[in-house]
Amino acid sequence: MRHEYGRPSEWRKTAPLLMLAAPGLLYFLINSYIPMFGVFIAFKDINYAKGIFASDWVGFDNFQFLFKTTDAWIMTRNTLLYNLAFIVLGTVISIFIAILMSELLRKLYSKLFLSGLVLPNLISMVVLSMLVFAFLNADSGFVNKSILRPLGLPELNWYSEAKYWPYLLVFIQMWKTAGYGSIVYFASIAGIDKSIYEAAKIDGAGKLRQIRTITLPLLKPTVIVLGLISIGRIFNSDFGLFYQVPLNAGALYSTTQTIDTYVYRALMQLNDIGMSAAAGLYQSLVGFMLVVVVNAIVKRVNSENALF
Amino acid sequence: MNRKKGLAALCMAAALGGSVLTACSGPNPSSDGGDSGKVEEIVFAMPSFNRIPDDLSRVANAINAITVDKIGVKIDYRVYGPADYAQKVNLALQSGEKMDIFTTLGQFSNYVSKNQVYALDDLLAQHGKEMTAILDKDFGPDLLKANTINGQIYGIPVNKGMALPISFVYNADMLKGAGFSADDIESAEDLPAVFEAVKNANPDVVPFGPINVNPSDTNLVNLLKGKHKVDFLTDTTGVGVVVGDDGKVVNFYETDLFKNGARMMRDWYNKGYLQKDAATTTITSMEMIASGREFSFLGGYSGLEIGKTISAQSGKNVEAKRISPFYFDTGAVNAVSWMVSSTSKAPEAAVKFLNLLYTDEKLINTILYGIEGEDYVKVDEHHVRFPDGKDANTVPYTAMFSTGIVGSESLQYQFEGVSWSDIELKLRENKETERSPYFGFIFDQSQVKTQISAVNNVVNQYLPGLVTGSLDPETTLPKFVKALNDAGAADLIKSKQEQLDQWLASQGK
Repeated sequence: MRHEYGRPSEWRKTAPLLMLAAPGLLYFLINSYIPMFGVFIAFKDINYAKGIFASDWVGFDNFQFLFKTTDAWIMTRNTLLYNLAFIVLGTVISIFIAILMSELLRKLYSKLFLSGLVLPNLISMVVLSMLVFAFLNADSGFVNKSILRPLGLPELNWYSEAKYWPYLLVFIQMWKTAGYGSIVYFASIAGIDKSIYEAAKIDGAGKLRQIRTITLPLLKPTVIVLGLISIGRIFNSDFGLFYQVPLNAGALYSTTQTIDTYVYRALMQLNDIGMSAAAGLYQSLVGFMLVVVVNAIVKRVNSENALF
Repeated sequence: MNRKKGLAALCMAAALGGSVLTACSGPNPSSDGGDSGKVEEIVFAMPSFNRIPDDLSRVANAINAITVDKIGVKIDYRVYGPADYAQKVNLALQSGEKMDIFTTLGQFSNYVSKNQVYALDDLLAQHGKEMTAILDKDFGPDLLKANTINGQIYGIPVNKGMALPISFVYNADMLKGAGFSADDIESAEDLPAVFEAVKNANPDVVPFGPINVNPSDTNLVNLLKGKHKVDFLTDTTGVGVVVGDDGKVVNFYETDLFKNGARMMRDWYNKGYLQKDAATTTITSMEMIASGREFSFLGGYSGLEIGKTISAQSGKNVEAKRISPFYFDTGAVNAVSWMVSSTSKAPEAAVKFLNLLYTDEKLINTILYGIEGEDYVKVDEHHVRFPDGKDANTVPYTAMFSTGIVGSESLQYQFEGVSWSDIELKLRENKETERSPYFGFIFDQSQVKTQISAVNNVVNQYLPGLVTGSLDPETTLPKFVKALNDAGAADLIKSKQEQLDQWLASQGK
């Protein structure tokens, strides 16, 4: 009987929260869970006359094109290494920016700077690719025309030299996303109890010491959660960054090809939904496994910080 | 706790219910069709390269006035721009939305191998006699062979000037300024001397550029195709081709033909006839010519009026000179084909409409130019122009750039200024241009899908650099060929050879 009494009050407590979560839950349900029903398409040879359900099962045939060639190694390596670089550098730079911002005394300034840093994130990749092109264009680009030429250095044909692109792409991605990424850290820092800092000050800790021993350790849970989320998408890449920004230049494929661009280029002509479903499934499965594995490791090291 | 679960279930039910509702509201329960005598409705998707008006009902009504009267079919007229045409059609086909008649650019055999299109043989014999007659008259016999797979006809190629010989398109004022005339240009070998002179006379001008960009294409491949009679055997990768008539499928990029072509481009590139970033530029030759910064490019055009058309579009004095013949392989003919969807509920009505689409002068021109007096005015029997004070952008409706997409060119009105003799020339060239001995062979890609997707990637990687000369063929070609072999080029060639041998055997009967 006591159980029955407990329920109405619990209901009253959770109902508003559930209602708050409802739109988000619905979003995931409609966009992520219901479409999962279509995973079986990855194992079918779609035949329109027969319809999706009656089409023939082909086992893992649809996955073959992802592993068939030497490209498979290149695109997997690129996707992983770029994402790793983005996660590590992105976290470091974002935290750096967040700390600098939070140390600004005038709130007006920090708001102003932060807005400025977030702005690049609002630029579409297509526009960004044109900005980059204005810098790197072989004949009239800013770098060749206004920097290398006056200095008497040899001019570079940027869009046919694959070796520079890892640096360029990482730089572009950081310029675009680091400011936006710092918002979460900025908010976490703002949430740290100010009295801790005051106590540290009284004990004689300087600014750097405070950052090292208070801010960074308290940011750890945020870093882990955001890191886990990005690791889940480590097999996906920003299509715009890897396709639009290098202007789809063939000579750069060795350093700009990722799984997404490969799938796009391979299937643009074939238009085969079975094979594209296979590619999507492969990316999500690997991402899912990585999240589980990394989470298990985090749990072993420090169970409080694990996601689940 | 139980209650919470109940709520979650409720949420889920609501979401599922919502999605089911939207799924159901798609097809209207109205048009059952079927019974004879009743007006059947079909969806006709048309690509337009002009501005697409918001309100199509005026033109749709004019079209329906013709079709309902003549064949008892009502048309749901859809017009899409070139950028999203294929996507809209594929989406409709994949989702089961109603889509009866559509066209394609170079994907014909793909639609067939996925069973997306209806076999037309029986219906054509019944309802398409006039259409087959006009195809025979304008192109010559056996045109439909290019759309026949396993003995069944799956599509109807657009009836137009199909021969697209490679022309050297150039700024005539610059050519004159450099001290040359059109008579000095007979083949690609004559071009370097011209480029050199143009470059010296106009140091700021790029002598030669790629016609298409992203990926860059200088038409080198088409030049070689026409000149050396190369049949690409319907897939565009170029990995399995037959040169001449020896029946042996080879990798085009391994032939000396391609090697020499790439060397020629490299030579041009090294001498500065192309922009340094020709392989990656995003500016087409049309734009470069219009801005006066480029002298020439190579393009494949039917008829001889293309110089005039480009002059009108670019505002420069542009002329064109043919430097290579054309060669009919299957892909050249079935690239733009009209098809009936395999999910069509009214294939008979669709074929009746197709028949009209190729043979009814009024219907064709209504689709292209709209309504007489409002969207265009007639100049004489074959020519039209826009009403006074209007142009292509301000007229209520026009799809004038789709003349190469729809119907029969011999029944289309031409725009004022285009000489009618050009149409006659195109029809003559349809019959006179040499046909590949493998004309009618269609490669079924479904067995080597994996290899094709991998090969496509490799071709995208190397070809733009080679055809613009920005990569050195001596070092790059071996790498290119090796990458193609790694990607499974041999399987593709083998599969093609087998199919070709079978096809040849079946033709011999």
